Amino acid sequence: MGGEDASTTLEGRPGTRSPPSSRSAGSLRRFDYSRIIKNVAIGFGAAVASLGVFVSLGLVGVYDLPYALSTLNALKLGAANTLTLIGIVIPVGFSAGFTFGWGRTSHRWLTRSISTVYVEFFRSMPPLVLIAFAFLISTAVLLGIPGLADRIGDPNSFAISVSVLALAFHSGAYQAEIVRAGIQSVPTGQREAAEAIGLTKARTLVYVVLPQMFRISLPALSNEFASVIKDTSLLSAVGILDLAYMAQNLSSRLIISRGNIDNIFLVYVEIALIYFVMTFVVSRVLQEVERAFRVPGLEAAQL
Amino acid sequence: MIDREKPMVEVRKVHKSFGDLEVLRGIDMQVKKGEVLVIVGPSGSGKSTLLRCINLLIQPDSGDIFLEGVKVNDPDIRPEWVRQQIGMVFQSFNLFTHLTAIKNVMLGLTKVKRLDGLEAEKIARYELERVGLADKADAYPAQLSGGQQQRVAIARALALNPKVMLFDEPTSALDPEFIHEVLDVMTKLANEGMTMVVVSHEMGFAKSVADELIFMDNGVIVEVGVPEEVFASPKTDRMRAFIGKILG
Repeated sequence: MGGEDASTTLEGRPGTRSPPSSRSAGSLRRFDYSRIIKNVAIGFGAAVASLGVFVSLGLVGVYDLPYALSTLNALKLGAANTLTLIGIVIPVGFSAGFTFGWGRTSHRWLTRSISTVYVEFFRSMPPLVLIAFAFLISTAVLLGIPGLADRIGDPNSFAISVSVLALAFHSGAYQAEIVRAGIQSVPTGQREAAEAIGLTKARTLVYVVLPQMFRISLPALSNEFASVIKDTSLLSAVGILDLAYMAQNLSSRLIISRGNIDNIFLVYVEIALIYFVMTFVVSRVLQEVERAFRVPGLEAAQL
Repeated sequence: MIDREKPMVEVRKVHKSFGDLEVLRGIDMQVKKGEVLVIVGPSGSGKSTLLRCINLLIQPDSGDIFLEGVKVNDPDIRPEWVRQQIGMVFQSFNLFTHLTAIKNVMLGLTKVKRLDGLEAEKIARYELERVGLADKADAYPAQLSGGQQQRVAIARALALNPKVMLFDEPTSALDPEFIHEVLDVMTKLANEGMTMVVVSHEMGFAKSVADELIFMDNGVIVEVGVPEEVFASPKTDRMRAFIGKILG
């Protein structure tokens, strides 16, 4: 036995009724890419404006402009590496968060337990400690097992990769709780209604629970993304040449070469500006995604 | 022509417990094709559980459920297949809040019956028109009144062309001014020959529309009869006490 086919469904139906209006109900996509572009432009606008202010301050002699310019190459490399870290940590963290957050709502005892252990472990460690553990343990394992280090190739880059994953899983633990709360806030009545019209549990999840979960979770997820962008700076501790590492490096060089110590402050202002722009662009884009998927009638009242 | 002899739904010796609490204690009932059955009873008497056993949202512990003579609480039968032939309307409407009215109605058509979008939309518009909401197709649930939401929920169930409709206290969550518009739709459905099982304390609806009335208490069926007669001259003390309470 299976479902009825379409022809029996249409029995007694208005097969020859007036055609549906040209504006198909299926095309109500409210995603407006021009607004996203606008928001990215605002982000870069803010960057250019602050850069303008920054450079003019240098021109009037508030700080050492030639020194600032001499750091640009190092900061460019740092920014590129930080962007790579963000590009790894956010997707990996989100995948882990989604998987384990969903696992936390499972009716299966084992799935729930594994997910809970994951969340509690990674959430209860300072990220810097996690990164150190990941680096030390992976190095120890690599050197402890004879022949393994040769097979992997570069033991240092292996340990660094594990450290990056450790940070991603740390963020994933926070995201798991966001996802769990989102799933659980979809009323059970709606799941019951979905099953009552014959949707399987999997389809109920895909078409009823997840779309609402994402809408509910997005503000909190944006928050976590904004947070983890800056947490990537902790990875400088294992020698990744990101922005924070470059800042420390430039500072030490100033000290060693007996340069102007005031310029240490300048270096940190520079990386702060770069982190700000990265975070600002991501927040604005997510804010736009949130707006695009807002459900009319469910907006929060303005206080 | 309605064949009034053939049971559309038959429930035999159904038991259901939640933990130590036995909610259904041997229920036997049947609804013939085109018949409207109203179930009344105090809260906690097992009415909602009985409805959910009929479309297998809840699996009975023992006993059998038949749909047109086919035993459906059988491991070989997919519950999804049973449910798409039985429409259900809930007390709290349970519309999908992220979808417009018409998308709510279309979801079962596109994702269960796998019709293409255009065909599904045509049916959904027709069903919304049937419940008097053609002009609200693109409204979201939060933009509709309770009565309108419940009528969309009825359209959503009707769209799958069900053989039976189950109503679980469809007017209990409504403001008084919206109750009649939902009852009107239900009356129209009954007059069109839809087989219906309705849990409701709307006495007026029961008297004018129902063919049969069941009074449940404590997980058993206490009294069965023609609504007019049961209300006018209840045979049991429990039914008499209950009628006294709902009449205030």
